[in-house]
Amino acid sequence: MPMVNLKRFMALALIVLGSACADPVPDAFRFGLASAPANFDPRFATDATSARINRLLYDRLVDFNDTFEPVPALADWEQLSPTHYRFHLKTNKRPFHDGALLTANDVKATYDFILNADNASPHHASLTVIDRVTIGDETIVDFFLKRPEPLFPGYLVIGIVPAHLIATNHPFHEHPVGSGPFSFQARPDETQLHLLRVRDQQRFEFITIPDPTVRVLKLMAGEIDMLQNDLPPELIGYLERDRMVKVQRKSGTNFSYLGFSFEDAVTRQAFVRRAIAHAINRQEIIEYVLDGAARPAESLLPPEHWAGAQDLDPITYEPEKAQALLRQAGYSREHPAKIVYKTSSDPFRIRLATILQRQLQDVGIDVDLRSYDWGTFYGDIKAGRFQMYSLAWVGIHTPDIFDYVFHSRSIPPHGANRGRFRSTLADTFIDHAQAAPDLETKQRWYVQLQHHLADALPYVPLWYEDHIFIARREIEGFTMARDGNYDGLRHLRRSSPDAL
Amino acid sequence: MFIRFLISRFLTALAVVFGVVCLVFFLLHLVPGDPVEVMLGESARPADRAALQQALGLNQPVHVQFVRYMANLSQFDLGTSFYSKRPIRDLLLERLPATVELGVAALLVALLMAVPLGILAAVKKGTAWDVAATGIALFGVSIPNFWMGPMLILVGALWLGWFPVSGREGVASLVLPALTLGTALAAILSRMIRSAMLEIMNEDFMRTARGKGLAERTVILRHGLRNALLPVITLVGLQLGALLSGAVITETVFSWPGIGSLVVEAIHRRDYPVVQATVLCISTSYVALNVLTDLAYAWIDPRVRLGSQP
Repeated sequence: MPMVNLKRFMALALIVLGSACADPVPDAFRFGLASAPANFDPRFATDATSARINRLLYDRLVDFNDTFEPVPALADWEQLSPTHYRFHLKTNKRPFHDGALLTANDVKATYDFILNADNASPHHASLTVIDRVTIGDETIVDFFLKRPEPLFPGYLVIGIVPAHLIATNHPFHEHPVGSGPFSFQARPDETQLHLLRVRDQQRFEFITIPDPTVRVLKLMAGEIDMLQNDLPPELIGYLERDRMVKVQRKSGTNFSYLGFSFEDAVTRQAFVRRAIAHAINRQEIIEYVLDGAARPAESLLPPEHWAGAQDLDPITYEPEKAQALLRQAGYSREHPAKIVYKTSSDPFRIRLATILQRQLQDVGIDVDLRSYDWGTFYGDIKAGRFQMYSLAWVGIHTPDIFDYVFHSRSIPPHGANRGRFRSTLADTFIDHAQAAPDLETKQRWYVQLQHHLADALPYVPLWYEDHIFIARREIEGFTMARDGNYDGLRHLRRSSPDAL
Repeated sequence: MFIRFLISRFLTALAVVFGVVCLVFFLLHLVPGDPVEVMLGESARPADRAALQQALGLNQPVHVQFVRYMANLSQFDLGTSFYSKRPIRDLLLERLPATVELGVAALLVALLMAVPLGILAAVKKGTAWDVAATGIALFGVSIPNFWMGPMLILVGALWLGWFPVSGREGVASLVLPALTLGTALAAILSRMIRSAMLEIMNEDFMRTARGKGLAERTVILRHGLRNALLPVITLVGLQLGALLSGAVITETVFSWPGIGSLVVEAIHRRDYPVVQATVLCISTSYVALNVLTDLAYAWIDPRVRLGSQP
């Protein structure tokens, strides 16, 4: 009996010692968000914030590298035939946060759920090329396609959810269970989200602060440790002068542009669109309005993209040339081209639009600027009720976007050819690129297409906005991603006070 | 008489709420912007769009959707958010306490500022005190909340460090949003108290009170203020309704998780059920507060008899 007591005492002492020696629970890292994530179920989430948070919570089969080529994430793959891809799950991957192992069955269950039209997943459309999904053993998943698609691996970027929880209709949208580097801890209210970093149980709090000024004030007061993007340039400039915070920039790929209606008598004229392109002083706007946080764009895909065109001639600022082009189109100071320019009601977008309006006015284009709430603006754009508008494409990874935006078959509701641009040449380039059996051939067609678009100017490219990450001085280890994801939080740490 | 009054007010209130529900339902379906489009984006195929429309019940004619909505409502079923897939009842229960907390705190701030200012301006009419009180009221009314909020944050949170910048974490976090929201109301109330006090100052009963030898302070506070508060109560009732309906700008500036920010998010996302439920909640609280105001009016002034002309 005394022996048993001694053992118990020793065990208890070890536990107490163990807990005493364990690291104290570290302070939470607090991340300021502009908008709250709406849905933690990767099969349904569509907004950018949800997508970024879900990347932390769930693993996916495939990811993209810096040149937007698909690379293995959870799985390597091999193409067994033009319509058959086999994925091999890596065996060293983490289990789900509820302890179950991630197997091929979970991958199949996730994609089967999305492919079932009754479930009304918004990602169904992007995966309709899949005919069926089968599993070999616990680590092998076979995807059979309806038609050859060399870009197919790049489509498999949806987070994998556990099959046993899909079967029980688990509410992933509020209680996510994934296998990602972060696990869900709590959501005290709609404005707060608590995650735990799996490897060290470090707590991260995501706090929604919609007002950019307040977000910055909260950072300065030390109530949050970091924030990313969604700040007007003047606030970024202000923070760059503050010694308590550090500002990191990374070239982004979000493409801002001016779009035109090809069914309008004024904007369908190539001379007018070319004149607009030469009338805009992009360099000045980037330098003085965007505070240098952007780079000029020449095409929808950035030049570093594997299908991007690196040899496009930059559109130059030449107001005299713009005036000459307008004269060729039959306009003059006395009879100026009149264009209605639509934009959203976002204050910063209105400010940019006002500057563009002034620059166009300088070459003799009479611009009537109109701003609308997002729903109305977007509705008008889709319906083709515009002469000229400005918007941005966000999160573009694959060159399929060209088909979707510029092919004559993609006029809404069948795509996003909002300007009703019809070019046989563009259609031919797109069709050839899509039918090409390998990436090299695809790339050649897409580059030719981009040269054609640079001539035809269905869009006037403006710029790619940078990603900005701002953190308090003691925050270290965050690596910014080209698409603005939060993966850098995996290695975030707080430096010791002595190091500051 | 009182029961008849209550029944008639209840029926009127019900009609008003029903009117609001109908109006919001049909207006929401009329404005441009489609929830399916917001959720799926343009990339969706027509078949997917149709599938989601069916899943959300948006493929039915509007009048069918309306009948279904009213049938659910009659069973107190507010539905599920299109976007977050959460029951709306839960969303409202999460957000309401924050809004009530802020509304009541803002009203307290407003009364604490308005009553002394209004009395001071009336008693010291035409003096520098009156001018100063008028100036403060003008200042309060003129400054928009989206400017006042960040300024208070700058001073109270950043320079002095007394309060948190934003969020809802303890009593301290309530001070700045309540001040922001309460200041404009205080300005309106103080002007109303001033004019009501001025009217009453020369009434016979005030002269009688003074003639009895009562101290001026007692005359003003016990006899003057009590009578001057009658019109103010009506205004307070209406304003409390506005405060409980969610102070959109203040809630946005201070990241206050209340009804106001919920409805704004829902409108942006065209989350019809959430907008409808929130507006229903707001209109109900408005109407209920109006009825309560009427009752309070009758309670404070015995001359006002319910159901009869005063």
